[in-house]
Amino acid sequence: MIDARNLTVSLSGKTIVHSVSLTAKAGEITAIVGPNGSGKTTTMKAIAGELPSKGEITLNGHDIRALEPWQLAVKRAVLPQAAAIAFPFTVREIVRLGLTVGPNRHAERIDAITSEALAAVDLGGFAGRFYQELSGGEQQRVQVARVLSQIWEPVLDGEPCFLMLDEPVSALDIRHQLTIMQLARRYCEGGGGVIAVMHDLNLTAMFADHMVMMKNGSVAHAGRPADVMTDDAMEAVFGCRMRINGVPGPGVPFVLPHTASY
Amino acid sequence: MSLNDALRNSAHGSRLMRTARPRAEGDRSAVARLTLVVLVGLSLIALALSIATGASDASALRVIGALLGGTEDTVLSMRDRIIVLDIRMPRALLGFLIGAALAMSGAVMQGLFRNPLADPGLVGISSGSALGAVLMIVLGASVPAGLMASLGAFTLPAAAFVGGLLTTLLLYRIATRGGQTSVATMLLAGIAISALAGAVTGILIYMADDKQLRDITFWGLGSLSGMTWTKVAAAAPIILLALVVVPFLSRGLNAITLGEAAAFHMGVKVQRLKYTAIVAVAGAVGASVAVSGGIGFVGIVVPHLLRLVIGPDHRYLLPASALLGGVLLLGADMLARTIVAPAEVPIGIITALAGAPFFLWVLLRHRGRNGW
Ligand SMILES: Nc1ncnc2c1ncn2[C@@H]1O[C@H](COP(=O)(O)OP(=O)(O)O)[C@@H](O)[C@H]1O
Ligand SMILES: [Mg+2]
Repeated sequence: MIDARNLTVSLSGKTIVHSVSLTAKAGEITAIVGPNGSGKTTTMKAIAGELPSKGEITLNGHDIRALEPWQLAVKRAVLPQAAAIAFPFTVREIVRLGLTVGPNRHAERIDAITSEALAAVDLGGFAGRFYQELSGGEQQRVQVARVLSQIWEPVLDGEPCFLMLDEPVSALDIRHQLTIMQLARRYCEGGGGVIAVMHDLNLTAMFADHMVMMKNGSVAHAGRPADVMTDDAMEAVFGCRMRINGVPGPGVPFVLPHTASY
Repeated sequence: MSLNDALRNSAHGSRLMRTARPRAEGDRSAVARLTLVVLVGLSLIALALSIATGASDASALRVIGALLGGTEDTVLSMRDRIIVLDIRMPRALLGFLIGAALAMSGAVMQGLFRNPLADPGLVGISSGSALGAVLMIVLGASVPAGLMASLGAFTLPAAAFVGGLLTTLLLYRIATRGGQTSVATMLLAGIAISALAGAVTGILIYMADDKQLRDITFWGLGSLSGMTWTKVAAAAPIILLALVVVPFLSRGLNAITLGEAAAFHMGVKVQRLKYTAIVAVAGAVGASVAVSGGIGFVGIVVPHLLRLVIGPDHRYLLPASALLGGVLLLGADMLARTIVAPAEVPIGIITALAGAPFFLWVLLRHRGRNGW
């Protein structure tokens, strides 16, 4: 379980995140949603241990600030919102980075896990390509594969591991959005946990077990999507009036990921 | 062996073939390991050639023969002995080590700054080291004689190391913000730091007396002439230490390719990695500059060429850079000694003649790419 209590983060002398509390349980996808600039990424970075913050943050009961980087790295992996790579690595070499950095428990299975992780994000056959020569969405999936390979087993030494994904599907087509979200769900079924910053509210409604709505650096609402996603909450957080489960008038097509089958 | 046995053996053999790890697609480590083996061979050849050839006709073979107990014309073998053992050997060893130090420092800097244009010479570390050394020559007279004597041959490398260290730290502070390095800021800061170091060096030249002046001019060009065993003793330990320490940084440098935050996420102690790398680079470059002056472009050409062949994985790139750097510098030195023999061209001129156009080519090739 990841538990953050009264998290407050200041950057460049400005308080960005105000006393945020959130809990991400093993076996659940916890989605963080909210408008641009509401502090989702900052909250995620603080929980990852990357930004200095006030308040308590525990990972499976351990204070994350007391853990060494490698101790964190075996229990949680982080997909940053943006990633630029300086040198011409191949896709395989990028994914393998997740397995060769830090204490390496899978020395003899590196190639196998790398290939499986790539297959899991539907990039089988891309291992030999250069990362820089991929499309944005393909690069994003390579990064997901790298993050997944870092904590390949959802449960390690009896403790759950956590995927922390900042907008994991933002650059993806609808089919691959579903691929990644299903991957997240399988990780939870295996006993791990997932925290994901999401923009797509439909996918969130479909996949999230727990949902945290942020606005102006604070938590506005938290709970199950079915409870939290109300017309009033949407308007209060996103600043526009929308009807939950409303349908557009005739002549305007709409398509929901809920209906996908393949 | 019965037919049955043979069949079983061959079946076993082909099963072995199939279970032997197939070369995974996108995995360049086999090529990298082969390259390392080739480079070790080339290094030995370059060292041997460098000791065997020179302006005089002294024969290394004859000297080795004499050392092994052969009785030769004593006068001739004495002269040859001095040329081979006291002139060519320290020169070859230091030349190789300096090439290795500069090339590996280039690779480390590029990894750390996440930028293939970072080079100890271009970003002013060499100038900072040279300033440290010049300061020591000119102002060293006022340092208590006892302290000078106890530091002995290490005084100049130590001063160059401190100069290089301060420059690198300054550069890192200026060019890196929030874990991102801007190439423009880095190169411009390098120009400014070089100019500043040059100006201070200029002032010191006015303050210098004749003997000091002769010592100082030496740093301007970069040369491998005048290498002695004393200089080997002063510079080699520092360079060797850096060469031994730096490969331990390779996994961290690989991770930092994805950014400092991602490296931390993957379990790297980023701050420790950065400072170890900076101290190692300053030590290797400082020691090199202290004995040979500024030799440019090795640090940018060598890692770049290698990345084209073996990829950017630092586990292979760092040792391969060291070996190829040593080989290329010895090659350049042999050129420097022979094209206007019996005189010689300062080696810095040769590396700049070859390296500067290469640098421009790299710059053009990458112009406008993301992240630069
Ligand atoms: N390093 C920084 N210094 C100052 N302000 C920042 C910094 N990073 C982000 N912010 C500000 O903090 C707010 C929240 O940012 P962020 O957490 O990235 O939002 P989002 O919810 O879109 O992920 C934004 O207004 C942003 O401008
Ligand atoms: Mg964000």
